[in-house]
Amino acid sequence: MRESEITLDFAAQVRKALESQGFQVVLTRQGDENPSFDDRSAIANAQIGAVFVTLHIASTGLPGTVRVYVDSDLPARTDAGGLIPWDRAQLPFEGLSRKMGDLVQVLLVQRFKGSPVTAQTAAVRQLRTTAAPAIAVEVSSVVVEERADLDRMAPGVADAIATGLASFRPSYVVPTTRATP
Amino acid sequence: MTSRWIRWLVAALSLAVIVGVIYLPILRRRMQLAAKLQQQTAEQARRELTQVVPVNPGEPRVKTKLFWASGNGDGTLMNATVELPLSSDPVLRAKQVLNTLLAGPVDTDLRTLPPDAVLLAFYLLPDGTAIADFSEALATETPSGIQSEQMAVDSITQTLEANVPKVQRLKILIHGQEVETLAGHLDLTGTFLVNTNAAQAPFPTTTPVATPPASPSSGKPAAPATDKPTQVPAPPPRPGAATLTPENGPGKLAQLERSAPAD
Repeated sequence: MRESEITLDFAAQVRKALESQGFQVVLTRQGDENPSFDDRSAIANAQIGAVFVTLHIASTGLPGTVRVYVDSDLPARTDAGGLIPWDRAQLPFEGLSRKMGDLVQVLLVQRFKGSPVTAQTAAVRQLRTTAAPAIAVEVSSVVVEERADLDRMAPGVADAIATGLASFRPSYVVPTTRATP
Repeated sequence: MTSRWIRWLVAALSLAVIVGVIYLPILRRRMQLAAKLQQQTAEQARRELTQVVPVNPGEPRVKTKLFWASGNGDGTLMNATVELPLSSDPVLRAKQVLNTLLAGPVDTDLRTLPPDAVLLAFYLLPDGTAIADFSEALATETPSGIQSEQMAVDSITQTLEANVPKVQRLKILIHGQEVETLAGHLDLTGTFLVNTNAAQAPFPTTTPVATPPASPSSGKPAAPATDKPTQVPAPPPRPGAATLTPENGPGKLAQLERSAPAD
């Protein structure tokens, strides 16, 4: 089993579920290419009013469970220009990311018993440079005997993400970051 | 004559019974205590066999908490307490506890760090920032995934927090170099909080290294690196678009694809 292929299959189902909820979806890769973290963040940061979901298939963890991660707290740093430093892009969105992550995680635990009940924090590299509410969704795991075991999880994961994002949408107000003169 | 021998025999047997009645509860207590200490003793024996940092036998043996996987498969850790003759010098002490952590628990399923990983160097700056330099195996053999990578780092930071109070935060290097992630997911460009009483600084408080935004199409930097960190404007509010990133990082399975040229 190739993690990249499975992840792409999951992404296709998540895309379909999101589009059915009225979201416009941009994939950061279409095939076997491997864009850098900054490439992916640049794609997300170029969108207006976007949210960001990064999908992972873990090689460890309880098989059949799904975890949502939000970025660890970043130290605040003021910027007189009112711009967000690239390596702190997630900072103004941490609260929104947490809210979005919890909404999705609650839906995931209903579908996948043994999953955590709330989103967890971790220093996920991909999330740090993303200037949007951002979550990482990690599915356990590639260490299953049959690929079908993972395939069966995809619709539930897709539905939980799409439903969670749809319920998050009304509360999404982009935080003001411009410094007061 | 015979009756006297019988009396002696009865007396001796009575004495044996009395001694037995007194000694048996003591023996039972000792067996219970031995059973309790059995696991700890096994850990202790392993620690002594695998101790690679020279220790001064004159140092007092102190209870040392080591954090390994709980075995629940949920990414949680549990601590095991062993007695080690730890140095009073914080750097030596940190090396001792980290080497013991790397040696792993008796139950190898509870390992959080790869068996081949080695601590190459450990430094402690005056502000409490520690720098731990590990061999490549830490990055190449840690199972790829947010949970497994987080567990590896947590086991290091929690073990340091429990045993080396002077360490406030930790920077992890791989073979002397800063790397972007541990095994494809967890960010190693910053520092990890070790002592919860310290001011939190997951990322360096000094001016960060400039990271130019890359052009999505070319994969090349859109602008040359400058001394200032690249900045992006805050987006105006207009919810409705979702960006989805199917991960294809350098994880364990992805490593199999490295024979193909990167795009």
